[in-house]
Amino acid sequence: MGNEDTETTVLSATVPMQRHSRSQSLSARVFKDTFIRRGAQIGAGWLVLLSLVAIFAPLLANSRPLLRSVAGQIESPALRYMTAVDITLLLTFFIGIGLLIVGVSYQRIVAGVCATVVLLYLVLSQLVSPPKLSIYEEYRQPSETSQSVDWEVYAPVPYSPKDYLRDYGDTGLQAPGVFGERMHLLGTEENGADLLSRMIHAARLALGIGLVATGIAMVLGIFIGGFMGYFSGVVDMLGMRLVEIFEAVPTLFLLLTFVAFFDRSLYLMMVIIGLTSWPGYARYVRAEFLRLRNQDFVQAAVAAGLPLRSILFRHILPNAVAPVLVAASFGVASAILAEATLSFLGLGLIDDPSWGQMLNQAVRSSTFNWWMALFPGGAIFLTVFSYNLIGEALRDALDPLTQRAESV
Amino acid sequence: MKLLQIENLSTTLSSAGSEVPAVKGIDLDIHQGETLCLVGESGSGKSVTALSIMRLLPEAIVSHPTGRVLLRAGGDNNPTTDLLALDDATMASLRGSHMAMIFQEPMSSLNPVFTVGEQIVEAIEFTNPGIAFTEAEAIAIEALRDVKLKDPEARFREYPHKLSGGQRQRIMIAIALACQPQLLIADEPTTALDVSVQAGILELMAELQQKTGMAILFITHDLGVVAQIADRVAVMQHGKIVEQGPCASLLNQPQHAYTQQLLAAVPENLARRDSAPVVDDTLMTVENLSVHFPVRRGLLKRVVSTIKAVDDVSLSIRQGEILALVGESGSGKSTLGKALVRLLKPTQGRILYRDNDIGSLDSTAMRALRTDLQIVFQDPLSSLNPRLTIASALTEPMAAHKIGASHSEREAMAARLLQDVHLPADYLWRYPHEMSGGQRQRVGIARALAVNPRLIVCDEVTSALDVSVQAELLALLLELRERLGLTLLFITHNISVVEYISDRTAVMYNGRVVEMGDTAEVCGNPQMEYTQNLLASVPRLSTVQGN
Repeated sequence: MGNEDTETTVLSATVPMQRHSRSQSLSARVFKDTFIRRGAQIGAGWLVLLSLVAIFAPLLANSRPLLRSVAGQIESPALRYMTAVDITLLLTFFIGIGLLIVGVSYQRIVAGVCATVVLLYLVLSQLVSPPKLSIYEEYRQPSETSQSVDWEVYAPVPYSPKDYLRDYGDTGLQAPGVFGERMHLLGTEENGADLLSRMIHAARLALGIGLVATGIAMVLGIFIGGFMGYFSGVVDMLGMRLVEIFEAVPTLFLLLTFVAFFDRSLYLMMVIIGLTSWPGYARYVRAEFLRLRNQDFVQAAVAAGLPLRSILFRHILPNAVAPVLVAASFGVASAILAEATLSFLGLGLIDDPSWGQMLNQAVRSSTFNWWMALFPGGAIFLTVFSYNLIGEALRDALDPLTQRAESV
Repeated sequence: MKLLQIENLSTTLSSAGSEVPAVKGIDLDIHQGETLCLVGESGSGKSVTALSIMRLLPEAIVSHPTGRVLLRAGGDNNPTTDLLALDDATMASLRGSHMAMIFQEPMSSLNPVFTVGEQIVEAIEFTNPGIAFTEAEAIAIEALRDVKLKDPEARFREYPHKLSGGQRQRIMIAIALACQPQLLIADEPTTALDVSVQAGILELMAELQQKTGMAILFITHDLGVVAQIADRVAVMQHGKIVEQGPCASLLNQPQHAYTQQLLAAVPENLARRDSAPVVDDTLMTVENLSVHFPVRRGLLKRVVSTIKAVDDVSLSIRQGEILALVGESGSGKSTLGKALVRLLKPTQGRILYRDNDIGSLDSTAMRALRTDLQIVFQDPLSSLNPRLTIASALTEPMAAHKIGASHSEREAMAARLLQDVHLPADYLWRYPHEMSGGQRQRVGIARALAVNPRLIVCDEVTSALDVSVQAELLALLLELRERLGLTLLFITHNISVVEYISDRTAVMYNGRVVEMGDTAEVCGNPQMEYTQNLLASVPRLSTVQGN
């Protein structure tokens, strides 16, 4: 330490106001500590792969050709049928990569990505209107319908999730490993739609519901918990009663009720899961705020006459989110499970593919179709396990006890 | 007779792939019946030495590249055994029966779910297997009587939470001595205790040593304690013993430069300054101030009683002086300090500052006065936000009070503040965890100075620091006081620091100020009985036992 000190002093004589290069913020340190652990690396690896698959889903699994030439004209049916959600995700991804290459700080990347998602979706849902009716036969191989096709480029999985292939044979059910005219790597479901394609598109639902539901719960939990912890007294007492009321609401039964009365909507599910799971976060945040409120640095901020906004959001909150993040990574996993449970019970979305729904189909048909249980089940397991691994690693990285043990 | 011989012992701790040599080849002998004091600053390796002897370090991270620790268990003629080479079972049987250890933190050393008696009996049963419970109980009660606890039969059945820190440390000693070990290792056993309690414990240990003839290895950073109890002293620095010898000669004629430096940094030995001319101009007047904390119980949170942390205190602080507020833990001195800067709302009484009663101002009106009144805290670890750079910690209060026109101007001012507290300007971009305790405490002072205050409350600012760092920090505070015309309220429990730094002293006891006056008078000729007792129990270097 002594040598380094003199070194920096010498440096400071020449460039007095240059940022200290060795400085590493606490969040950067925690991030590094988390992801040097093998478990977190594996978990993050699977989630990154899943996210990429979810973002590029329409380009990975699609019955329509990505590119084709009809009578000398090059067109892209896949692009023409893209929805606003598809385009929003793809554009956001490239904007995010762009920001990363330019070298913007990670907080700005996160903020930028969130802003583009919302903005793009609002704009694109007005502008983009894919054809309502899609006739997959038009693009079937070999192209019988349109004779003038010169060449075509297909996606790696040349089946759309809702392309039920009813025109082929009486039953669509096909086990994996049957190599014939049409190849289905993971087999097909009972209506003949390709299982791999459905799983790829269902990844979106799984990731989306986990992130959005947990996001809603976290924001609510942090605000309510923060106010309870900082102001304590009556606010705390009322807040705790509210927490207890919400903890008593059984999420699954509430979901079932809502599904019975209203449309089966993905957004409704996200909101209900979010609205019923904030009390856990509120408890964590409250406890942290109660502890931090009496810490010397918060007292010093009060003594310096800083405004309440700064005390709450600059001095207390960043030091209080750590346990919430740990809880959140487990929360994402349980939100995914909640959706899978609902879909398994047959109360999920009707037509859109979901992993839970596929599990349901595995047992519903007259014979047990092992591939319908194994692959979606495996995907749910891996995703939930990944979030749990990351949560575990995050907790270890944040735990002052394990850190102290390492630096004895 | 040499009871314990440490030959060329080195201890290496490994963590996350890096190896830290904590002890680097030390030689040390402990003779039967003597008290050997191991002195050094934090990080010098003195605790690791003790834990190496007891083999209490986690085996996964510790290794001993060289050295032997030879214990002559039994009598004169018995052979010595190398503790480092023993298997775990044999080692466990030696712990307790031949060597025992007591630790610094008495509050966490006892298991809260067992009674005191059960914990002593457990230790006795472990070393005397097959002993009857009634017999063990009799030994345990005798041990409690030996450590001078009143009513040992009742204490035997009590749970630890009912006992004070001093009583718990006595029980730790009772447990350690219940099996009559030949060697007692005490790792800073009195550091967490008040001086008067410390005096009692030290006296007790000396008495028990007389009676049993055991050897004591006493680890401490306090040279005053060393002067009072040691037969021989060993000084450690950076994992090495730099000097050892008989207590009196080592403290009076230190040979090694580091020992000399350490002794020079003790507040008692710091050069007395000329007392600064104090203008007889009152800056702040406190009238009949009380801060009470209600104790609430039950479902409806009824107030069942109140804790009178500060009780009817009146005092005045003069412009430009350093007023010391001394007292033992729980005397209400920190509460008073926080009330003066309105971090706590007083229950009764008035705090007059510039024609305002601070106690009754609302938070908006108070904000304007916050620039004048600042506070520096005890714990350098928790007093800085771990997520903000030093630059943001320093510029934020300036921005809140519109000091400095632009962000870059404020950064330049912050750099100047760091220079004022003798830190290089590029520390602006560091985070608190990249600095040492002393450096962080300087940043704490710089943050208080950022808003150009007139009064700074220094709440135990040096108690978490080593003596040499403390000496530097005290010199810095005096320099800043002189240069900026500051007034300081210096809260501390350390009498020698008070004598060195303050102009006037107020002594607090049970929430009240029992004695107040010029420091020379209060410390030289105390009038109240409490102050006399307090001063008498301070261990001082000048009380070296002649031998």
